[in-house]
Amino acid sequence: MKLFIVRKVLEANAKIADEIRRKMICSDTLLINIMSSPGSGKTALLETLIPRLQKRGVRVGVIEGDITSTRDAERLQPLNIPISQINTEPFGGDCHLGTEVILPALEPFDLEKTDIIFIENVGNLVCPAEFDTGAALNVVLISVTEGEDKPLKYPLMFRVCQHALISKIDLLSVLDFDVEFLKTNILKINPKIKISEISSKTGKGIDEFIDKLIRFSGKDDIAKSKC
Amino acid sequence: MHELTIAENIIKMVELEVGKRKPDQKIRRIVFQAGRMNAIIPESLTFSFDTIKKYHANLAEAELVIQILPITVRCQSCGSESTIDEPEFSCQHCSGTEIEMLSGSEMFVESIEIDEE
Ligand SMILES: Nc1nc2c(ncn2[C@@H]2O[C@H](COP(=O)(O)OP(=O)(O)OP(=O)(O)O)[C@@H](O)[C@H]2O)c(=O)[nH]1
Ligand SMILES: [Mg+2]
Ligand SMILES: [Zn+2]
Repeated sequence: MKLFIVRKVLEANAKIADEIRRKMICSDTLLINIMSSPGSGKTALLETLIPRLQKRGVRVGVIEGDITSTRDAERLQPLNIPISQINTEPFGGDCHLGTEVILPALEPFDLEKTDIIFIENVGNLVCPAEFDTGAALNVVLISVTEGEDKPLKYPLMFRVCQHALISKIDLLSVLDFDVEFLKTNILKINPKIKISEISSKTGKGIDEFIDKLIRFSGKDDIAKSKC
Repeated sequence: MHELTIAENIIKMVELEVGKRKPDQKIRRIVFQAGRMNAIIPESLTFSFDTIKKYHANLAEAELVIQILPITVRCQSCGSESTIDEPEFSCQHCSGTEIEMLSGSEMFVESIEIDEE
């Protein structure tokens, strides 16, 4: 006997993601999911970005999804912000963060007193793209030490993100990297994505990215009526 | 690597669906569909599925059939629908960039075959 069911395999994850989104809208907290290959500069971005947000009076928290160690969370300690560390597994662990770990990781935050929570996702360009975290904004980093054709190899990642950050641009002078070609490839996958060039080392492009975040965060008034 | 999580989700869903209708039935076959965008490695999914099915009595002999579906899109400007083979999301007819994905980026359990009584 054949039962036709046609149900989405990740619907359980999606349901919790919607619950997280509602929670965030109601507490006026912007949840931002940062994804990239290992080493593209997610933690370095947070190290540079967060003090600048704090200077502008923005209250920040981080969910640290580096699941192999607590090293990234330790790097962020000096910022004196609440950090929620997803359980670690010294020899690998999962390849993505599902909402079953994000939801409990949100527990420690006082959402009413938090404006932005960043999720540093697991360094991986395939799997995290598949799992909705409930974030309002998905950001992908791609560094200039990676290939210009990365977006074509990992299209889903660039489809699910609203913002792409080309990182480590301070290294451009010593590399043979074609930023315009990378941008063309990103836009092939997602013509609506916003692209910024940043260096977490020199700070170039970071304030412009913050301006975009702040503009974005003001957008949720309509959804809020549903709280 | 997300194939393991996907295999777990497939098994959970199948047990739930079968449990609702015919609990304790042996499951013969599960048809799973994913889009090309999902970047599923079938060998890896099969391996994951075969590894964990052993822990589920009514799934121990189940076969997972994996079907990979093409990416189909509709242009919001001219309304034309097409299947794309290259990761390039602009309209082949009017070069519009408002492209809606109709299929090819979602994963489903399509059907489950259980033993006849
Ligand atoms: N020159 C330069 N180096 C950078 C920049 N951003 C990050 N790096 C370096 O790149 C390496 C990796 O940076 P991380 O911030 O740890 O990268 P990540 O994405 O958090 O890595 P995982 O958490 O392991 O996935 C470190 O050695 C950083 O110092 C940048 O803007 N310029
Ligand atoms: Mg990191
Ligand atoms: Zn068109």
